[in-house]
Amino acid sequence: MPRDRSVGRLLTRAFAALVLLIVCAGLAQMATVLVQHRTVDQLSAHVQPLQLANARLRGVLADAQRGLRGYLITGDGQLLDSYHVARSTYPQAVAELRELCTRRECPAVNTQVTRADAWWELAERQRQAPPRSSQAVTFVSTGKTLFEEFLSANSGLDRSLAHRAESLQQRSFTLGWLTVAAVAVLTAFAAALAAITATRTTRRITGPLGRLVGVLDRMRQGDSAVRADPDDGPAEIRAVAAALNTRADEADRVRAAERDVARLRAEVRDLGIRIRGHLVVEDAVREAVHGLATTLRADHVLVRMAAGQTDVPSLVSLRDEHRDGPLNDLAGCPATWLRTGDVHTTDDPDGDVEPPAAERRAWAAVGGGPVLTVAVSGGGECLGALTLIRDQGPPWTPIEVGLSEAVATDLGRGVHHARLYEQERQLVARLQELDTAKTDFMSTVSHELRTPLTSIAGYLELVLDAEAGDLTDAQRRMLEVIARNTRRLRELIEDMLILSKIESGSFRITTSEIDVAAAVDQALTAIAPAAAKASVRVHTEAYGPLRLQADAEQLDRVLVNLLTNAVKFTPAEGTVTVTARRDGGHVTITVADTGMGIPEAEQQVLFTRFFRASNAIHQAIPGTGLGLAIVRTIVDSHGGTIDVRSTENVGTTVTVRLPG
Amino acid sequence: MTVVLVADDDADIRDLVAFKLEQAGLDVVAVADGQAALEQARLRHPTLAVLDVSMPGLSGIDVCRMLRADPATAAVLVIMLTARVQEQDVEGGFSAGADDYVTKPFSPRELVSRIQALLSRARA
Repeated sequence: MPRDRSVGRLLTRAFAALVLLIVCAGLAQMATVLVQHRTVDQLSAHVQPLQLANARLRGVLADAQRGLRGYLITGDGQLLDSYHVARSTYPQAVAELRELCTRRECPAVNTQVTRADAWWELAERQRQAPPRSSQAVTFVSTGKTLFEEFLSANSGLDRSLAHRAESLQQRSFTLGWLTVAAVAVLTAFAAALAAITATRTTRRITGPLGRLVGVLDRMRQGDSAVRADPDDGPAEIRAVAAALNTRADEADRVRAAERDVARLRAEVRDLGIRIRGHLVVEDAVREAVHGLATTLRADHVLVRMAAGQTDVPSLVSLRDEHRDGPLNDLAGCPATWLRTGDVHTTDDPDGDVEPPAAERRAWAAVGGGPVLTVAVSGGGECLGALTLIRDQGPPWTPIEVGLSEAVATDLGRGVHHARLYEQERQLVARLQELDTAKTDFMSTVSHELRTPLTSIAGYLELVLDAEAGDLTDAQRRMLEVIARNTRRLRELIEDMLILSKIESGSFRITTSEIDVAAAVDQALTAIAPAAAKASVRVHTEAYGPLRLQADAEQLDRVLVNLLTNAVKFTPAEGTVTVTARRDGGHVTITVADTGMGIPEAEQQVLFTRFFRASNAIHQAIPGTGLGLAIVRTIVDSHGGTIDVRSTENVGTTVTVRLPG
Repeated sequence: MTVVLVADDDADIRDLVAFKLEQAGLDVVAVADGQAALEQARLRHPTLAVLDVSMPGLSGIDVCRMLRADPATAAVLVIMLTARVQEQDVEGGFSAGADDYVTKPFSPRELVSRIQALLSRARA
């Protein structure tokens, strides 16, 4: 059993002792005063008057004896007068003495009065004896004896009274000193007690209190693990320490609970992100099922999706092996009793939603513990239900319910998104099929067009070469029109073929080291007849060798295409300038013309297939609108860039940068 | 006179090529399919064969491979005519043993100059 070290009890005891000491000192003082008062009273009211009365009696008798004796010796009658005066005063003096005396003095007073009365009897006889007679002398000696007996008694009483007065005074004095001594001792004792109590109290309070303050300071600084010593100091401080520890424990518990909730929230947030990240509905549902089981410690997690909404099984469970067992009933219960935003827990029977009896029976078949069901909604409609079951308590807390709702929301959103994605994917697949068919068709048509075109171009060449006989000028002009349009048709077919290759993904470049300057020269040779015919001058500023890795055939196609465009869109007497130079890690090829330019509004769509500038169409300049699209694809596949700057009616500059 | 075998299922092109080659002074044997081409090659021992790649039955590439496989015809020079520009056709032609190829549509003049270039190289 712990020793009682209460400061309060110590102080109570100490103060009780002090009060007792003070009361004792007071009582002693009061008793002393009372006793002294009585002593003084006795002295002044009894002993001293008695002494006076005794002295007066002696005086009366002495006066009488002196008067009588004088008369007897001298026979002077005047002396006898004083005897008579004394004689008449005597009874009053005796009465006074008797009145004052107490039982204690009565014997002595009686003896004295008896002896005085004996003397008075003899004195009466002496008075009657003749003065100066022998009889008188005899009486004188007898009277003297009696008188001395009286005096002796009187003196005895007087001495006795004086002794008593002295003894009373002595007692009073002694008592006074005793009281002083006692009060002094009591005061000293009280002072010592107070000092000891103060020291012990201080020592027992300040140390533990200081340590307690230290603990509080550390707590305030965030040290949540520190605790006060519950066995340190007196009971009061121990009680404070215990209360402080309780509060600290409570705060720890609250903090731990908050940490748990925060962790749960974070887990649920991550789970939501993972769920929404799935592009397949079933994957999203399974992620939710497994994630919830781990995060919220559910023994059974079941997701039922409404029929016809998705291609997910109607019931997805943590334990699909129970499908034909405990889950059998639940699979047959559509969650149509839930609306968007609905929540139901078996711990809250007063909820807004009431599940059908079959649903409750199905739950009971799965697990006997608390059941939480949340509606899964997405895209504004209820898609299904999320059910969490614990085999045995604890009940679902409001926080867990809230988190489940959050997961259900994410699941609904995820399912909705996955459905949209699936629809989109199907659409894309269909479009891709269509695109492939189109590309195949383009390729086939292009191939099929080549054979008749070969015949047309070949025979045309024979006729123009006059291999079938000479031609008139008119015939030749007409045949040349046919030849020109055959060439256009051929170019169109070539472009379409390349485009179909690009679109089918079979367009590949085969690189080898080539000299760009030489490629520019080659392209110029190819374009020279057309330029000469259109009266367009072509400048070159290509200083080789400008070596880089490229597909020679495709680079030639790029250069011829750009130069053809430049010549085609430049009016007579215009200039086309081709420059090629090394620019750090790149080779830059620029084709600048002084042609009609491209309207600014149309420059953005320049590289779009079949795009043709409005001014080119207006002036009936032939073209397919495929050239720049092909050029850009070739440049891109070389890892290069192409840039077009153009001002209408001033000219166009095309810059191609190729790495290497 | 140098005998040249021309095989193409398209009669117009076959006639065009045959006409142009005859103009160039060559003895032309024209056939419409691969089987006939093989037979004529064995019969006439042409110096050069112009074979269309896409023919019904035996393709130009098949014919080329068979010509090369037969010691009697292994030395024939072969030029392939192709309507396709796909690399695999060209590679297929060369791996079968073709000496050159010309893509449709082609210029008859260019074809003749290629043939003459091959012939002069073979003679040298």
